[in-house]
Amino acid sequence: MSRPAEHIDDATTAQRGPGSTASTQELLLDGVSHHYVAGSGNIVHAVAEATLRIPAGQFVCVVGPSGCGKTTLLKVLAGFLSPSSGEARYGDDVISGPSYQRGVVFQQANLYPWLSIRGNVELGPRFRGVPRKERAERAERLLEMVGLPQFADAKPYELSGGMQQRAQIARVLANQPEVVLMDEPFGALDALTRERLQADLLRIQRQRRQTVFFITHSVEEAVFLGDRVLVMSPRPGRIVLDEPVDLAATYGPEVGVEMKSTPEFIEIRDRVAGAIQIV
Amino acid sequence: MTGGVEMAENVAERAQPAPPAGPGGTSGSDASRDVAAGARSALRRTRRFRFGLQAGVLVAVLLLWWLITAVHLVPALYLPSPGAVLNAFIQANSCRPVAEGLTRTVCGEQNYYLWEHLVASLQRIGVGVGAAVVVGLAAGFLMGSSKWLQIAFEPYLNFLRALPPLGYIGLLIVWLGIGDTSKFVLLFLAAFPPIVIATIQGVAGVSGDRINAALALGASRAQTIRYVVLPSSLPSIFSGIRIAAGFAWTTVVAAELNNGIPGIGALAYLSGTQLNTPLTIACIITIGLVAVALDALIVRAGHLLVPWQGKA
Repeated sequence: MSRPAEHIDDATTAQRGPGSTASTQELLLDGVSHHYVAGSGNIVHAVAEATLRIPAGQFVCVVGPSGCGKTTLLKVLAGFLSPSSGEARYGDDVISGPSYQRGVVFQQANLYPWLSIRGNVELGPRFRGVPRKERAERAERLLEMVGLPQFADAKPYELSGGMQQRAQIARVLANQPEVVLMDEPFGALDALTRERLQADLLRIQRQRRQTVFFITHSVEEAVFLGDRVLVMSPRPGRIVLDEPVDLAATYGPEVGVEMKSTPEFIEIRDRVAGAIQIV
Repeated sequence: MTGGVEMAENVAERAQPAPPAGPGGTSGSDASRDVAAGARSALRRTRRFRFGLQAGVLVAVLLLWWLITAVHLVPALYLPSPGAVLNAFIQANSCRPVAEGLTRTVCGEQNYYLWEHLVASLQRIGVGVGAAVVVGLAAGFLMGSSKWLQIAFEPYLNFLRALPPLGYIGLLIVWLGIGDTSKFVLLFLAAFPPIVIATIQGVAGVSGDRINAALALGASRAQTIRYVVLPSSLPSIFSGIRIAAGFAWTTVVAAELNNGIPGIGALAYLSGTQLNTPLTIACIITIGLVAVALDALIVRAGHLLVPWQGKA
Protein backbone atom coordinates (compact mmCIF):
# COMPACT_ATOMS: atom_id res chain seq x y z
CA MET A 1 0.00 0.00 0.00
CA SER A 2 1.59 3.27 -1.09
CA ARG A 3 1.17 6.20 1.25
CA PRO A 4 2.08 9.17 -1.01
CA ALA A 5 -0.08 7.84 -3.83
CA GLU A 6 -3.08 8.13 -1.57
CA HIS A 7 -2.99 11.91 -1.53
CA ILE A 8 -2.57 12.02 -5.26
CA ASP A 9 -5.52 9.71 -5.59
CA ASP A 10 -7.72 11.87 -3.41
CA ALA A 11 -6.56 15.05 -5.09
CA THR A 12 -7.27 13.81 -8.57
CA THR A 13 -10.61 12.51 -7.43
CA ALA A 14 -11.42 15.97 -6.16
CA GLN A 15 -10.50 17.43 -9.54
CA ARG A 16 -12.67 14.96 -11.38
CA GLY A 17 -15.48 15.95 -9.08
CA PRO A 18 -17.22 14.09 -6.31
CA GLY A 19 -18.44 10.65 -7.12
CA SER A 20 -16.00 10.12 -9.92
CA THR A 21 -13.88 7.12 -9.05
CA ALA A 22 -13.65 5.72 -12.52
CA SER A 23 -11.22 2.88 -12.73
CA THR A 24 -8.33 3.43 -15.09
CA GLN A 25 -6.61 0.09 -14.78
CA GLU A 26 -7.33 -3.36 -16.02
CA LEU A 27 -8.01 -6.26 -13.68
CA LEU A 28 -6.29 -9.44 -14.74
CA LEU A 29 -6.34 -13.10 -13.76
CA ASP A 30 -3.35 -14.81 -15.33
CA GLY A 31 -3.60 -18.60 -15.30
CA VAL A 32 -4.97 -18.68 -11.78
CA SER A 33 -5.69 -22.08 -10.31
CA HIS A 34 -6.31 -22.99 -6.74
CA HIS A 35 -6.51 -26.18 -4.74
CA TYR A 36 -6.60 -26.84 -1.05
CA VAL A 37 -6.59 -29.81 1.29
CA ALA A 38 -10.04 -30.42 2.73
CA GLY A 39 -10.70 -31.62 6.25
CA SER A 40 -11.06 -35.18 4.93
CA GLY A 41 -7.49 -35.05 3.57
CA ASN A 42 -8.65 -34.93 -0.05
CA ILE A 43 -7.25 -32.30 -2.35
CA VAL A 44 -10.00 -30.06 -3.68
CA HIS A 45 -9.40 -28.36 -7.02
CA ALA A 46 -11.47 -25.22 -6.67
CA VAL A 47 -10.38 -23.35 -9.79
CA ALA A 48 -8.49 -24.61 -12.83
CA GLU A 49 -6.41 -22.26 -14.97
CA ALA A 50 -8.59 -19.17 -15.09
CA THR A 51 -7.38 -16.42 -17.37
CA LEU A 52 -9.52 -13.33 -17.52
CA ARG A 53 -9.02 -9.75 -18.57
CA ILE A 54 -11.47 -7.20 -17.19
CA PRO A 55 -11.10 -3.75 -18.74
CA ALA A 56 -11.47 -0.69 -16.53
CA GLY A 57 -15.06 0.24 -15.83
CA GLN A 58 -16.60 -3.04 -16.94
CA PHE A 59 -19.43 -4.68 -15.01
CA VAL A 60 -18.73 -8.42 -15.06
CA CYS A 61 -21.20 -10.94 -13.66
CA VAL A 62 -20.21 -14.51 -12.84
CA VAL A 63 -22.77 -17.31 -12.63
CA GLY A 64 -22.35 -20.99 -12.00
CA PRO A 65 -23.46 -23.80 -9.71
CA SER A 66 -22.57 -23.79 -6.00
CA GLY A 67 -18.98 -24.70 -5.30
CA CYS A 68 -17.70 -23.86 -8.78
CA GLY A 69 -14.98 -21.60 -7.46
CA LYS A 70 -16.67 -18.24 -8.10
CA THR A 71 -15.93 -17.08 -4.59
CA THR A 72 -12.36 -18.39 -4.83
CA LEU A 73 -11.77 -16.12 -7.81
CA LEU A 74 -13.24 -13.18 -5.91
CA LYS A 75 -11.04 -13.89 -2.92
CA VAL A 76 -7.98 -13.96 -5.15
CA LEU A 77 -8.97 -10.61 -6.70
CA ALA A 78 -9.63 -9.18 -3.22
CA GLY A 79 -6.25 -10.38 -1.99
CA PHE A 80 -7.74 -12.57 0.75
CA LEU A 81 -6.26 -15.66 -0.88
CA SER A 82 -3.08 -16.29 -2.82
CA PRO A 83 -3.70 -18.80 -5.61
CA SER A 84 -1.81 -22.09 -5.81
CA SER A 85 -0.46 -21.02 -9.20
CA GLY A 86 -0.78 -18.09 -11.55
CA GLU A 87 -1.32 -14.54 -10.37
CA ALA A 88 -3.85 -11.75 -10.23
CA ARG A 89 -2.87 -8.23 -11.23
CA TYR A 90 -4.45 -4.84 -10.97
CA GLY A 91 -2.78 -2.64 -13.54
CA ASP A 92 0.90 -3.36 -13.19
CA ASP A 93 0.72 -4.46 -9.55
CA VAL A 94 0.47 -8.09 -8.55
CA ILE A 95 -2.33 -8.46 -6.03
CA SER A 96 -0.75 -9.74 -2.83
CA GLY A 97 -3.18 -8.55 -0.15
CA PRO A 98 -6.40 -6.61 0.45
CA SER A 99 -6.53 -2.95 -0.50
CA TYR A 100 -9.15 -0.21 -0.16
CA GLN A 101 -8.88 0.25 -3.95
CA ARG A 102 -10.59 -3.10 -4.35
CA GLY A 103 -13.69 -2.86 -2.16
CA VAL A 104 -15.55 -6.04 -1.23
CA VAL A 105 -19.31 -6.38 -0.71
CA PHE A 106 -20.17 -9.62 1.09
CA GLN A 107 -23.39 -11.62 1.02
CA GLN A 108 -23.79 -10.87 4.72
CA ALA A 109 -23.70 -7.14 5.38
CA ASN A 110 -20.99 -7.57 8.05
CA LEU A 111 -21.75 -4.16 9.50
CA TYR A 112 -20.15 -3.58 12.90
CA PRO A 113 -22.93 -3.44 15.49
CA TRP A 114 -20.90 -1.27 17.89
CA LEU A 115 -20.94 1.54 15.34
CA SER A 116 -23.88 3.52 13.98
CA ILE A 117 -24.65 3.29 10.28
CA ARG A 118 -22.75 6.55 9.81
CA GLY A 119 -19.84 5.18 11.84
CA ASN A 120 -19.75 2.11 9.61
CA VAL A 121 -19.79 4.17 6.43
CA GLU A 122 -17.03 6.45 7.72
CA LEU A 123 -14.85 3.54 8.80
CA GLY A 124 -12.84 3.06 5.60
CA PRO A 125 -11.88 6.73 5.27
CA ARG A 126 -11.11 6.74 8.99
CA PHE A 127 -8.72 3.79 8.61
CA ARG A 128 -6.93 5.71 5.89
CA GLY A 129 -6.69 8.96 7.81
CA VAL A 130 -9.13 11.03 5.74
CA PRO A 131 -9.90 14.19 7.77
CA ARG A 132 -13.01 14.12 9.91
CA LYS A 133 -14.92 16.74 7.96
CA GLU A 134 -14.23 15.14 4.60
CA ARG A 135 -15.34 11.70 5.73
CA ALA A 136 -18.51 13.08 7.32
CA GLU A 137 -19.37 14.70 4.00
CA ARG A 138 -18.68 11.49 2.11
CA ALA A 139 -20.84 9.49 4.51
CA GLU A 140 -23.69 11.94 4.19
CA ARG A 141 -23.51 11.94 0.39
CA LEU A 142 -23.40 8.15 0.19
CA LEU A 143 -26.20 7.57 2.67
CA GLU A 144 -28.24 9.93 0.52
CA MET A 145 -27.27 7.97 -2.57
CA VAL A 146 -28.30 4.59 -1.16
CA GLY A 147 -31.49 6.04 0.31
CA LEU A 148 -30.66 5.81 4.02
CA PRO A 149 -30.08 9.43 5.11
CA GLN A 150 -32.59 9.19 7.97
CA PHE A 151 -30.88 6.08 9.36
CA ALA A 152 -27.43 7.57 9.84
CA ASP A 153 -27.65 7.32 13.63
CA ALA A 154 -29.41 3.95 13.78
CA LYS A 155 -27.57 0.80 14.75
CA PRO A 156 -27.16 -1.90 12.09
CA TYR A 157 -29.40 -4.37 13.94
CA GLU A 158 -32.27 -1.89 13.83
CA LEU A 159 -32.31 -2.10 10.02
CA SER A 160 -33.84 -4.68 7.69
CA GLY A 161 -31.62 -6.98 5.62
CA GLY A 162 -32.05 -4.85 2.48
CA MET A 163 -31.17 -1.65 4.31
CA GLN A 164 -28.12 -3.30 5.87
CA GLN A 165 -27.00 -4.32 2.41
CA ARG A 166 -27.44 -0.72 1.18
CA ALA A 167 -25.37 0.47 4.13
CA GLN A 168 -22.65 -2.05 3.31
CA ILE A 169 -22.50 -0.79 -0.26
CA ALA A 170 -22.25 2.79 1.04
CA ARG A 171 -19.46 1.74 3.38
CA VAL A 172 -17.46 0.23 0.53
CA LEU A 173 -18.07 3.21 -1.79
CA ALA A 174 -16.96 5.67 0.91
CA ASN A 175 -13.40 4.58 0.17
CA GLN A 176 -13.94 5.53 -3.48
CA PRO A 177 -12.61 2.16 -4.66
CA GLU A 178 -11.81 1.75 -8.31
CA VAL A 179 -12.88 -1.88 -8.24
CA VAL A 180 -15.88 -3.32 -6.41
CA LEU A 181 -15.99 -7.07 -5.82
CA MET A 182 -19.45 -8.34 -4.89
CA ASP A 183 -20.16 -11.86 -3.62
CA GLU A 184 -23.87 -12.58 -4.06
CA PRO A 185 -24.73 -9.32 -2.34
CA PHE A 186 -28.47 -9.65 -2.99
CA GLY A 187 -28.71 -13.41 -2.53
CA ALA A 188 -30.39 -13.30 0.85
CA LEU A 189 -32.94 -10.62 -0.02
CA ASP A 190 -36.57 -10.88 -1.04
CA ALA A 191 -37.41 -10.42 -4.74
CA LEU A 192 -38.77 -6.87 -4.45
CA THR A 193 -35.85 -5.52 -2.43
CA ARG A 194 -33.52 -7.29 -4.78
CA GLU A 195 -34.94 -5.62 -7.88
CA ARG A 196 -34.78 -2.20 -6.27
CA LEU A 197 -31.16 -2.69 -5.20
CA GLN A 198 -30.20 -3.98 -8.65
CA ALA A 199 -31.55 -0.80 -10.23
CA ASP A 200 -29.78 1.37 -7.63
CA LEU A 201 -26.48 -0.45 -8.10
CA LEU A 202 -26.66 -0.05 -11.86
CA ARG A 203 -27.40 3.67 -11.50
CA ILE A 204 -24.46 4.15 -9.14
CA GLN A 205 -22.07 2.18 -11.31
CA ARG A 206 -23.06 4.06 -14.48
CA GLN A 207 -22.42 7.30 -12.59
CA ARG A 208 -19.05 6.32 -11.19
CA ARG A 209 -17.77 3.76 -13.67
CA GLN A 210 -16.01 1.47 -11.21
CA THR A 211 -14.94 -1.94 -12.40
CA VAL A 212 -17.39 -4.43 -10.87
CA PHE A 213 -16.93 -8.18 -10.40
CA PHE A 214 -20.32 -9.50 -9.35
CA ILE A 215 -21.08 -13.10 -8.32
CA THR A 216 -24.66 -14.31 -8.43
CA HIS A 217 -26.79 -17.44 -8.65
CA SER A 218 -29.41 -15.70 -10.72
CA VAL A 219 -28.99 -15.77 -14.48
CA GLU A 220 -31.53 -12.98 -14.84
CA GLU A 221 -29.66 -10.78 -12.39
CA ALA A 222 -26.39 -11.42 -14.21
CA VAL A 223 -27.78 -10.51 -17.61
CA PHE A 224 -29.62 -7.48 -16.24
CA LEU A 225 -26.58 -6.02 -14.46
CA GLY A 226 -23.59 -7.14 -16.46
CA ASP A 227 -21.82 -5.69 -19.45
CA ARG A 228 -20.50 -9.21 -19.69
CA VAL A 229 -21.58 -12.53 -18.19
CA LEU A 230 -19.23 -15.40 -17.37
CA VAL A 231 -20.48 -18.93 -16.77
CA MET A 232 -18.34 -21.28 -14.69
CA SER A 233 -18.41 -25.07 -14.70
CA PRO A 234 -18.61 -27.21 -11.55
CA ARG A 235 -15.42 -27.99 -9.67
CA PRO A 236 -12.72 -27.52 -10.76
CA GLY A 237 -14.16 -24.21 -11.95
CA ARG A 238 -13.52 -23.22 -15.55
CA ILE A 239 -14.95 -20.32 -17.49
CA VAL A 240 -17.12 -22.04 -20.11
CA LEU A 241 -19.02 -19.06 -21.52
CA ASP A 242 -17.97 -15.45 -21.90
CA GLU A 243 -21.04 -13.58 -23.13
CA PRO A 244 -21.02 -9.87 -23.89
CA VAL A 245 -24.26 -8.13 -22.96
CA ASP A 246 -24.81 -4.94 -24.89
CA LEU A 247 -28.39 -4.09 -24.13
CA ALA A 248 -27.55 -0.61 -22.90
CA ALA A 249 -26.10 0.16 -26.33
CA THR A 250 -29.37 -0.80 -27.99
CA TYR A 251 -31.76 0.63 -25.46
CA GLY A 252 -29.80 3.51 -23.93
CA PRO A 253 -28.40 3.80 -20.44
CA GLU A 254 -31.70 4.58 -18.76
CA VAL A 255 -33.31 1.21 -19.40
CA GLY A 256 -34.94 -0.18 -16.30
CA VAL A 257 -36.68 -3.36 -15.25
CA GLU A 258 -38.79 -3.38 -18.43
CA MET A 259 -35.60 -4.40 -20.24
CA LYS A 260 -36.10 -7.90 -18.86
CA SER A 261 -39.00 -8.56 -21.25
CA THR A 262 -37.22 -7.53 -24.46
CA PRO A 263 -36.43 -10.32 -26.91
CA GLU A 264 -32.70 -9.54 -26.79
CA PHE A 265 -32.63 -9.92 -23.03
CA ILE A 266 -34.52 -13.21 -23.17
CA GLU A 267 -32.24 -14.51 -25.88
CA ILE A 268 -29.06 -13.82 -23.89
CA ARG A 269 -30.65 -15.12 -20.71
CA ASP A 270 -31.54 -18.41 -22.41
CA ARG A 271 -28.06 -18.74 -23.84
CA VAL A 272 -26.47 -18.27 -20.42
CA ALA A 273 -28.95 -20.62 -18.76
CA GLY A 274 -28.25 -23.16 -21.49
CA ALA A 275 -24.51 -23.00 -20.82
CA ILE A 276 -25.13 -23.76 -17.16
CA GLN A 277 -27.31 -26.75 -18.10
CA ILE A 278 -24.65 -28.17 -20.43
CA VAL A 279 -21.84 -27.97 -17.88
CA MET B 1 -29.46 -16.20 31.76
CA THR B 2 -33.05 -17.06 32.42
CA GLY B 3 -34.28 -17.74 28.91
CA GLY B 4 -37.94 -16.79 28.94
CA VAL B 5 -37.64 -13.65 30.98
CA GLU B 6 -34.69 -12.34 28.96
CA MET B 7 -36.71 -12.88 25.82
CA ALA B 8 -39.56 -10.79 27.16
CA GLU B 9 -37.13 -7.99 28.00
CA ASN B 10 -35.61 -8.05 24.54
CA VAL B 11 -38.98 -7.82 22.89
CA ALA B 12 -39.90 -4.81 24.99
CA GLU B 13 -36.59 -3.10 24.32
CA ARG B 14 -36.99 -3.55 20.62
CA ALA B 15 -40.48 -2.15 20.68
CA GLN B 16 -39.34 0.98 22.50
CA PRO B 17 -36.80 2.96 20.48
CA ALA B 18 -38.79 2.95 17.23
CA PRO B 19 -36.18 4.07 14.70
CA PRO B 20 -37.37 6.66 12.22
CA ALA B 21 -39.93 5.26 9.84
CA GLY B 22 -38.57 3.83 6.63
CA PRO B 23 -40.38 3.86 3.34
CA GLY B 24 -43.72 2.30 4.11
CA GLY B 25 -42.87 1.97 7.82
CA THR B 26 -45.64 2.28 10.35
CA SER B 27 -43.67 3.18 13.48
CA GLY B 28 -45.03 6.19 15.33
CA SER B 29 -48.60 5.19 14.60
CA ASP B 30 -51.08 4.49 17.38
CA ALA B 31 -51.03 0.79 16.60
CA SER B 32 -47.29 0.43 17.25
CA ARG B 33 -47.55 2.50 20.43
CA ASP B 34 -50.24 0.14 21.67
CA VAL B 35 -48.01 -2.82 20.91
CA ALA B 36 -45.13 -1.20 22.78
CA ALA B 37 -47.33 -0.39 25.77
CA GLY B 38 -48.66 -3.95 25.79
CA ALA B 39 -45.16 -5.39 25.70
CA ARG B 40 -44.07 -3.09 28.53
CA SER B 41 -46.96 -4.07 30.79
CA ALA B 42 -46.31 -7.75 30.05
CA LEU B 43 -42.70 -7.12 31.02
CA ARG B 44 -43.78 -5.47 34.28
CA ARG B 45 -45.98 -8.46 35.10
CA THR B 46 -43.09 -10.85 34.41
CA ARG B 47 -40.75 -8.84 36.62
CA ARG B 48 -43.28 -8.67 39.46
CA PHE B 49 -43.77 -12.42 39.28
CA ARG B 50 -40.03 -13.06 39.23
CA PHE B 51 -39.47 -10.85 42.28
CA GLY B 52 -42.41 -12.42 44.11
CA LEU B 53 -41.13 -15.94 43.44
CA GLN B 54 -37.63 -15.17 44.68
CA ALA B 55 -38.91 -13.36 47.81
CA GLY B 56 -41.25 -16.25 48.54
CA VAL B 57 -38.46 -18.83 48.40
CA LEU B 58 -36.26 -16.68 50.65
CA VAL B 59 -38.98 -16.33 53.28
CA ALA B 60 -39.63 -20.08 53.16
CA VAL B 61 -35.95 -20.92 53.66
CA LEU B 62 -35.62 -18.50 56.57
CA LEU B 63 -38.78 -19.90 58.18
CA LEU B 64 -37.53 -23.46 57.83
CA TRP B 65 -34.17 -22.46 59.32
CA TRP B 66 -35.87 -20.70 62.22
CA LEU B 67 -38.21 -23.65 62.82
CA ILE B 68 -35.35 -26.19 62.91
CA THR B 69 -33.48 -24.12 65.50
CA ALA B 70 -36.61 -23.17 67.48
CA VAL B 71 -37.54 -26.78 68.16
CA HIS B 72 -33.85 -27.62 68.87
CA LEU B 73 -33.73 -30.22 66.15
CA VAL B 74 -29.94 -29.71 65.98
CA PRO B 75 -27.62 -28.26 68.64
CA ALA B 76 -27.11 -24.49 68.36
CA LEU B 77 -23.35 -24.99 67.84
CA TYR B 78 -24.04 -26.84 64.58
CA LEU B 79 -26.80 -24.59 63.36
CA PRO B 80 -27.26 -21.30 65.21
CA SER B 81 -30.65 -19.62 64.94
CA PRO B 82 -31.25 -16.75 62.49
CA GLY B 83 -31.45 -14.44 65.50
CA ALA B 84 -28.01 -15.53 66.77
CA VAL B 85 -26.50 -14.95 63.33
CA LEU B 86 -28.09 -11.49 63.18
CA ASN B 87 -26.68 -10.70 66.63
CA ALA B 88 -23.23 -11.86 65.57
CA PHE B 89 -23.51 -9.62 62.54
CA ILE B 90 -24.52 -6.58 64.63
CA GLN B 91 -21.84 -7.25 67.22
CA ALA B 92 -19.21 -7.51 64.51
CA ASN B 93 -20.19 -4.04 63.35
CA SER B 94 -20.37 -2.29 66.76
CA CYS B 95 -18.53 -1.73 70.03
CA ARG B 96 -19.30 -3.39 73.38
CA PRO B 97 -17.77 -3.56 76.90
CA VAL B 98 -14.97 -6.08 77.25
CA ALA B 99 -16.93 -7.71 80.04
CA GLU B 100 -20.06 -7.12 82.13
CA GLY B 101 -19.68 -3.90 84.21
CA LEU B 102 -16.36 -2.75 82.70
CA THR B 103 -15.98 0.59 80.90
CA ARG B 104 -13.25 -0.58 78.50
CA THR B 105 -14.81 -1.47 75.17
CA VAL B 106 -13.88 -3.72 72.30
CA CYS B 107 -14.99 -3.01 68.75
CA GLY B 108 -15.98 -5.41 65.96
CA GLU B 109 -14.21 -8.76 65.70
CA GLN B 110 -10.44 -9.33 65.70
CA ASN B 111 -10.04 -5.54 66.22
CA TYR B 112 -11.81 -4.62 63.01
CA TYR B 113 -15.43 -4.03 62.15
CA LEU B 114 -16.94 -6.57 59.79
CA TRP B 115 -17.18 -3.99 57.02
CA GLU B 116 -13.48 -3.29 57.40
CA HIS B 117 -12.76 -6.99 56.95
CA LEU B 118 -14.96 -6.87 53.88
CA VAL B 119 -13.24 -3.80 52.42
CA ALA B 120 -9.82 -5.39 52.97
CA SER B 121 -10.89 -8.49 51.04
CA LEU B 122 -12.50 -6.41 48.29
CA GLN B 123 -9.23 -4.52 47.86
CA ARG B 124 -7.28 -7.75 47.52
CA ILE B 125 -9.78 -9.10 45.00
CA GLY B 126 -9.70 -5.79 43.17
CA VAL B 127 -5.91 -5.87 42.83
CA GLY B 128 -5.77 -9.58 41.92
CA VAL B 129 -8.63 -9.58 39.43
CA GLY B 130 -7.66 -6.15 38.06
CA ALA B 131 -4.15 -7.36 37.28
CA ALA B 132 -5.59 -10.57 35.81
CA VAL B 133 -7.82 -8.52 33.48
CA VAL B 134 -4.90 -6.43 32.21
CA VAL B 135 -2.42 -9.28 31.82
CA GLY B 136 -5.09 -11.80 30.79
CA LEU B 137 -6.41 -9.60 27.97
CA ALA B 138 -2.92 -9.04 26.60
CA ALA B 139 -2.05 -12.73 26.84
CA GLY B 140 -5.42 -13.73 25.39
CA PHE B 141 -4.99 -11.44 22.40
CA LEU B 142 -1.50 -12.72 21.72
CA MET B 143 -2.51 -16.36 22.01
CA GLY B 144 -5.76 -15.80 20.14
CA SER B 145 -4.01 -14.25 17.18
CA SER B 146 -1.04 -16.62 17.03
CA LYS B 147 -1.73 -20.29 16.58
CA TRP B 148 1.83 -21.20 17.65
CA LEU B 149 1.74 -19.20 20.86
CA GLN B 150 -1.53 -20.88 21.71
CA ILE B 151 -0.17 -24.34 20.99
CA ALA B 152 2.92 -23.57 23.07
CA PHE B 153 1.24 -22.15 26.16
CA GLU B 154 -2.28 -23.53 26.38
CA PRO B 155 -1.24 -26.68 28.31
CA TYR B 156 0.26 -24.50 31.08
CA LEU B 157 -2.92 -22.49 31.20
CA ASN B 158 -4.99 -25.63 31.71
CA PHE B 159 -2.47 -26.85 34.28
CA LEU B 160 -2.73 -23.61 36.23
CA ARG B 161 -6.50 -23.62 35.99
CA ALA B 162 -6.74 -27.06 37.54
CA LEU B 163 -4.57 -26.24 40.59
CA PRO B 164 -6.39 -25.80 43.92
CA PRO B 165 -5.33 -22.41 45.37
CA LEU B 166 -5.15 -23.93 48.86
CA GLY B 167 -2.49 -26.27 47.53
CA TYR B 168 0.05 -23.67 46.48
CA ILE B 169 -0.61 -20.78 48.89
CA GLY B 170 2.13 -22.20 51.14
CA LEU B 171 4.62 -22.00 48.29
CA LEU B 172 3.64 -18.41 47.52
CA ILE B 173 4.18 -17.48 51.17
CA VAL B 174 7.65 -19.02 51.10
CA TRP B 175 8.47 -17.10 47.94
CA LEU B 176 6.76 -13.78 48.60
CA GLY B 177 6.34 -13.55 52.35
CA ILE B 178 3.28 -13.55 54.55
CA GLY B 179 2.15 -10.02 53.62
CA ASP B 180 -0.35 -8.92 51.01
CA THR B 181 1.87 -9.71 48.01
CA SER B 182 1.35 -13.46 48.26
CA LYS B 183 -2.41 -12.86 48.60
CA PHE B 184 -2.51 -10.62 45.53
CA VAL B 185 -0.56 -13.16 43.51
CA LEU B 186 -2.80 -16.03 44.61
CA LEU B 187 -5.94 -14.14 43.60
CA PHE B 188 -4.26 -13.12 40.35
CA LEU B 189 -3.36 -16.72 39.54
CA ALA B 190 -6.93 -17.80 40.28
CA ALA B 191 -8.49 -15.11 38.11
CA PHE B 192 -6.00 -15.20 35.24
CA PRO B 193 -6.86 -18.49 33.44
CA PRO B 194 -10.60 -17.89 32.97
CA ILE B 195 -9.91 -14.42 31.53
CA VAL B 196 -7.22 -15.65 29.13
CA ILE B 197 -9.34 -18.58 27.98
CA ALA B 198 -12.41 -16.39 27.42
CA THR B 199 -10.33 -13.82 25.53
CA ILE B 200 -8.79 -16.49 23.29
CA GLN B 201 -12.26 -17.82 22.54
CA GLY B 202 -13.52 -14.32 21.80
CA VAL B 203 -10.63 -13.51 19.49
CA ALA B 204 -10.77 -16.86 17.72
CA GLY B 205 -14.54 -16.53 17.33
CA VAL B 206 -14.42 -13.35 15.26
CA SER B 207 -15.74 -14.29 11.83
CA GLY B 208 -13.24 -14.24 9.00
CA ASP B 209 -15.52 -12.04 6.89
CA ARG B 210 -15.65 -9.42 9.62
CA ILE B 211 -11.86 -9.18 9.54
CA ASN B 212 -11.67 -9.39 5.75
CA ALA B 213 -14.24 -6.61 5.49
CA ALA B 214 -12.00 -4.37 7.61
CA LEU B 215 -8.87 -5.27 5.64
CA ALA B 216 -10.62 -4.51 2.36
CA LEU B 217 -11.62 -1.13 3.82
CA GLY B 218 -7.93 -0.35 4.23
CA ALA B 219 -7.41 -1.28 7.89
CA SER B 220 -3.90 -2.03 9.14
CA ARG B 221 -3.33 -5.02 11.41
CA ALA B 222 -3.42 -2.81 14.50
CA GLN B 223 -6.59 -1.07 13.33
CA THR B 224 -8.24 -4.44 12.70
CA ILE B 225 -7.53 -5.46 16.29
CA ARG B 226 -8.61 -2.13 17.77
CA TYR B 227 -11.76 -1.59 15.68
CA VAL B 228 -12.94 -5.13 14.95
CA VAL B 229 -11.38 -7.91 17.02
CA LEU B 230 -11.55 -6.13 20.40
CA PRO B 231 -15.22 -5.08 20.19
CA SER B 232 -16.17 -8.44 18.67
CA SER B 233 -14.66 -10.33 21.59
CA LEU B 234 -16.05 -8.06 24.34
CA PRO B 235 -19.04 -10.30 25.14
CA SER B 236 -16.75 -13.28 25.64
CA ILE B 237 -14.27 -11.19 27.66
CA PHE B 238 -17.04 -10.07 29.99
CA SER B 239 -18.16 -13.60 30.72
CA GLY B 240 -14.52 -14.44 31.45
CA ILE B 241 -14.28 -11.57 33.93
CA ARG B 242 -17.50 -12.75 35.58
CA ILE B 243 -16.15 -16.26 36.04
CA ALA B 244 -12.81 -14.88 37.27
CA ALA B 245 -14.43 -12.61 39.85
CA GLY B 246 -16.58 -15.47 41.09
CA PHE B 247 -13.57 -17.75 41.36
CA ALA B 248 -11.64 -15.02 43.22
CA TRP B 249 -14.31 -15.02 45.92
CA THR B 250 -14.00 -18.75 46.35
CA THR B 251 -10.22 -18.28 46.63
CA VAL B 252 -10.27 -15.43 49.13
CA VAL B 253 -10.44 -17.73 52.17
CA ALA B 254 -7.36 -19.63 51.01
CA ALA B 255 -5.58 -16.34 50.36
CA GLU B 256 -6.36 -15.06 53.86
CA LEU B 257 -5.69 -18.28 55.71
CA ASN B 258 -2.39 -16.96 57.05
CA ASN B 259 -2.09 -13.42 58.42
CA GLY B 260 -5.32 -12.49 56.69
CA ILE B 261 -6.81 -10.16 59.32
CA PRO B 262 -8.37 -7.84 58.37
CA GLY B 263 -10.13 -9.92 55.75
CA ILE B 264 -13.57 -11.46 55.59
CA GLY B 265 -12.24 -14.81 54.43
CA ALA B 266 -9.85 -14.94 57.39
CA LEU B 267 -12.63 -13.92 59.76
CA ALA B 268 -14.91 -16.67 58.45
CA TYR B 269 -12.15 -19.24 58.88
CA LEU B 270 -10.97 -18.04 62.31
CA SER B 271 -14.45 -17.79 63.78
CA GLY B 272 -15.08 -21.36 62.71
CA THR B 273 -11.93 -22.61 64.41
CA GLN B 274 -13.05 -20.75 67.55
CA LEU B 275 -16.48 -22.42 67.38
CA ASN B 276 -18.16 -19.03 66.89
CA THR B 277 -20.53 -20.49 64.30
CA PRO B 278 -23.01 -17.58 64.27
CA LEU B 279 -20.17 -15.27 63.13
CA THR B 280 -19.02 -17.82 60.54
CA ILE B 281 -22.48 -17.92 59.03
CA ALA B 282 -22.74 -14.12 59.17
CA CYS B 283 -19.44 -13.91 57.25
CA ILE B 284 -20.56 -16.49 54.70
CA ILE B 285 -23.84 -14.70 54.07
CA THR B 286 -21.99 -11.39 53.71
CA ILE B 287 -19.51 -12.89 51.23
CA GLY B 288 -22.33 -14.45 49.23
CA LEU B 289 -24.42 -11.28 49.07
CA VAL B 290 -21.47 -9.07 48.12
CA ALA B 291 -20.35 -11.57 45.47
CA VAL B 292 -23.84 -11.64 43.95
CA ALA B 293 -23.99 -7.83 43.97
CA LEU B 294 -20.57 -7.57 42.33
CA ASP B 295 -21.61 -10.08 39.69
CA ALA B 296 -24.77 -8.09 38.95
CA LEU B 297 -22.57 -5.00 38.61
CA ILE B 298 -20.33 -6.74 36.05
CA VAL B 299 -23.36 -7.94 34.10
CA ARG B 300 -24.75 -4.39 34.14
CA ALA B 301 -21.43 -2.99 32.90
CA GLY B 302 -21.44 -5.64 30.19
CA HIS B 303 -24.89 -4.58 29.00
CA LEU B 304 -23.77 -0.94 28.92
CA LEU B 305 -20.57 -1.66 27.01
CA VAL B 306 -22.00 -4.34 24.71
CA PRO B 307 -25.52 -3.15 23.92
CA TRP B 308 -25.54 -5.16 20.70
CA GLN B 309 -25.17 -8.53 22.41
CA GLY B 310 -27.72 -11.02 21.14
CA LYS B 311 -28.86 -8.63 18.40
CA ALA B 312 -26.10 -8.95 15.85
